[in-house]
Amino acid sequence: MHAVRNLRLCTKDCVCLFICPTGATNTETGQIDFDKCLDGCRLCVDACPSGAIYLVSSTYPKPQTTEDAVAERLFALANSKAAQEDLARSIAHGSDDPALRQICKVVEMSSRIIAEDLWRESGYIIAQSDAAEQLVEAMLAEYGAEEGFPVEAVQAFLNGRR
Amino acid sequence: MDADVRQMTWTELAAVCTNLEKACTKQLRGEEATTFAKLASFYESRREPQADAKIEELVALIDADLAEGYPSANEAAQAAEDRGSKRALLWGEKATKLLKSLLVRYEKQGAKLTEETGVFVCEICGFVYVGSAPPEVCPICKVPAFKIHPVRKEAI
Ligand code: SF4
Ligand code: SF4
Repeated sequence: MHAVRNLRLCTKDCVCLFICPTGATNTETGQIDFDKCLDGCRLCVDACPSGAIYLVSSTYPKPQTTEDAVAERLFALANSKAAQEDLARSIAHGSDDPALRQICKVVEMSSRIIAEDLWRESGYIIAQSDAAEQLVEAMLAEYGAEEGFPVEAVQAFLNGRR
Repeated sequence: MDADVRQMTWTELAAVCTNLEKACTKQLRGEEATTFAKLASFYESRREPQADAKIEELVALIDADLAEGYPSANEAAQAAEDRGSKRALLWGEKATKLLKSLLVRYEKQGAKLTEETGVFVCEICGFVYVGSAPPEVCPICKVPAFKIHPVRKEAI
């Protein structure tokens, strides 16, 4: 667990600089030096008058499971949202009207965000979930041999899980 | 229940990856976020535009979600007492209705709809807003306005 500064909330009161035993809070980027931060210390978290520092975990519990009847319907909606995103992109592609392309862009963005949320609730909420690991394994098996597939990064991810 | 990678379209594969990329970013796991971003762009690069796509087709898909997809998913989530899914469905259904109304208005008014005004999308829930400035708080998911972004017309 290490401390993270929310730069939107930080009011530069510097109490975290005074209290940190390792100097991790004092950096040129404004963010805390995660390598120097002591696991679970949280002195700065409690000291900050602006509530601008929080702890981020290094481990996460397995997410709640989604019932099959629900997941099935979430998948169906995510599939439909992807089809809408594709259609919007195709319509934009076939048009040189800036107003229509703008509307299509909005549909693309919004449909993607809605789809991501559906994926999240259907079991793919974090990369630490079994569902996400199996998905990445299946992607490697199915597409790993194709040009442009990020084989090394994917293998490193899967190795990190074992 | 796991999704079947072999049955998924390029865009679905990209979307599940951008979702996981965001989750890794929120956990400040840069390396893993980059891996999912790479996977997403691999699938993005496979997407190909279809010729003769029409707004009516898009509206028909949205109508089907509103008539069938959301009610049936809501019912299943209610039966399973799955509040997380109910939350996603509530937000998604509201945003979907706004997309429908945006398209219907565009079909009626054409370029006039956005001639003198902006269009905004909430990065968290997909809320869509036509107006000069976004609301202070997203009416669907309640995030502050800095999460609601303008989508501009591009010069071609
Ligand atoms: S104590 Fe809080 S407000 Fe002050 S510099 Fe540190 S993070 Fe910012
Ligand atoms: S948690 Fe402790 S070690 Fe880490 S930055 Fe805060 S005060 Fe420094």
